[in-house]
Amino acid sequence: MLGKADQSFSVSIIAALVLFFIGGLLTTVVPPMIDKSWSRPAPGLKPYTAEQLKGRAIYVREGCWYCHTQQTRTLVADTKRSGWRGVDSPVSTPDEFVYDSPHMFGTKRTGPDLSRVGGKYDTQWHRTHFRNPRDLVPGSVMPPFPWIVNNPEEFTALVAYLQTLGRAKDWRPAKDYEK
Amino acid sequence: MAEASIAIPAPVKPAQVHTDVTARWFLVSAIGYFFIIGIIALAIAAKFCWPELLGTVPALSYGRLRPLHVNGMLFGWLLAADMGLTYYFIPRLCGVKLWSEKLGVATAALWNVIILGAVFALLGGYNQGFEYAELPLPLDILVVIAWVMYGTNLFMTIARRKYQQMYVSIWYTMGTILWTAFVYITGNFATELTTGVNQANLNWMYVHNAVGLIFTPVGLAIAYYFIPKSSDTPLYSHRLSMIGFWSLAFVYVWTGAHHMLHGPISQWLQTIAIVFSVMLLIPVWSVVYNFFATVKGQWHQMRDNVPLKFLVSGTVFYLLTCFQGPMHSLRSVNAIVSKTDWIPGHAHMAVLGCFSFFAIAGTYYVAPRAWNTKLYSETLANWSFWLMMVGGLGFFVTLWLGGFWQGWQWNNPSIPFIDTVVALKPIWLVRFFSGTLIFCGIVAFAYNIMATVVGRRAYAR
Repeated sequence: MLGKADQSFSVSIIAALVLFFIGGLLTTVVPPMIDKSWSRPAPGLKPYTAEQLKGRAIYVREGCWYCHTQQTRTLVADTKRSGWRGVDSPVSTPDEFVYDSPHMFGTKRTGPDLSRVGGKYDTQWHRTHFRNPRDLVPGSVMPPFPWIVNNPEEFTALVAYLQTLGRAKDWRPAKDYEK
Repeated sequence: MAEASIAIPAPVKPAQVHTDVTARWFLVSAIGYFFIIGIIALAIAAKFCWPELLGTVPALSYGRLRPLHVNGMLFGWLLAADMGLTYYFIPRLCGVKLWSEKLGVATAALWNVIILGAVFALLGGYNQGFEYAELPLPLDILVVIAWVMYGTNLFMTIARRKYQQMYVSIWYTMGTILWTAFVYITGNFATELTTGVNQANLNWMYVHNAVGLIFTPVGLAIAYYFIPKSSDTPLYSHRLSMIGFWSLAFVYVWTGAHHMLHGPISQWLQTIAIVFSVMLLIPVWSVVYNFFATVKGQWHQMRDNVPLKFLVSGTVFYLLTCFQGPMHSLRSVNAIVSKTDWIPGHAHMAVLGCFSFFAIAGTYYVAPRAWNTKLYSETLANWSFWLMMVGGLGFFVTLWLGGFWQGWQWNNPSIPFIDTVVALKPIWLVRFFSGTLIFCGIVAFAYNIMATVVGRRAYAR
């Protein structure tokens, strides 16, 4: 086969595509057929409202996802860091992300993971933090976002989205946030 | 193993047959973007050290400059330079003219429209939200059109070739054209039809293969052509190059899910991705062995042959980055380095240290020949190499050390997150200064090539 592909235009093209498509189809088309949890929403997962979707679009537009992941991985440290007031967070599962498009799992954690941030900080905290992160978290390298804070509609939508993150699972015993 | 290798066929009538108009247009615009996007790169590196910098201008905030840096470097500089170099060597390897220089120039013009469109779209916040696939839909469609124009031109050239047997660089270029088409469509169109983890899986298949099946095969095509050419030595083994090519064709596409190890994606899919990631060592080591065996006995040329310096150090970086890759995909290592600053260190070694070095070497080799002149300055070329080499090593090594340390700190939940950020500040400062050195290397390279192009009339007189 190798010698043939070396001489013939069509043989080399067909061989290159066949080899590519074996792995390509088995790893992209087949997995969602086997693992149904990729498409079945978690029991507590609600579709986004129009305002939350607007906030999500701002999260995408400003590239928040380049520095913040949204996945509590199957690592003890992740469950502790995503936890709240001494309670460890459950790990993220595929069924929590069924309504996400574009997905915001992220690849880089310059800032903390946000997969369970919903409900932890109130609107006033977010307002101060977006205006200048260093006012609340000395040493932070997050950029300031004055143009969002100064636009009440955008700010409200973004906070509405952030408060949904990680809420599909009911894991915190005392629901004392957002009061 | 050391069978007589295929000598690269010489052009039929040297310097007469090939006009290289398309190659020249692609190379000049690629170099322009290398410089412009280099400034963006410095700006985002500076923002890690001084987060308030340009902070109140939405279009210049980190979240908008970073995608511009990534897309500009990948598509504006590297892919355009790679395409330009293939327009140069494919006709020569086939012993015929490029099928259509007109179509080629039109492709170059369209490519510039895409990149300029990308600058405005990304600064304006029109971001699709997928890594490496940030460009909005209209630009994605133009990329597909440009790619079809590029592929048609090269395939028609290869189909009319004079030499029956195809040299390795031809297979790799054909592979790039075919695989890129499907990988790009998956990453930019199929993702829109899915959500959640399913979408992420398609996205990572694209992200991984944007490097593995676009920049790797075309980069290797370039190295396979220019290593023997610039050292004036035949390739060590034709058979070994076939093993490398066909194992790459089979193995690379399986590994997308290794971007979500420990994450919310099926464990068995993670395991498949790990197994195939480790198998990547087969195509990589067969290529690297072939390159080193080719330059064996030619080491004295490394003293003053600048293209060869870039090619050999690019090969070393290729070996290193492709050893890191399979190792990161092991669950234990991944638990430390994933999501840390190690990853940009790894990614820059692949795209800058390896594939950009190959493209720069090719450009240094091609520029005097395509413009029928001599290089403006060998000394400046040597400076560009050392600036990029020292800057690059500073960049990669500090980010690995910093990233590994950061990963260890994250795995100790008693350390507050913000302390792990503050700990990295010296690392980011060194990264900024290393980046400045790399940028000086880019300036030296770009100036050298531009002076060669502009000064050619003086030389001809």
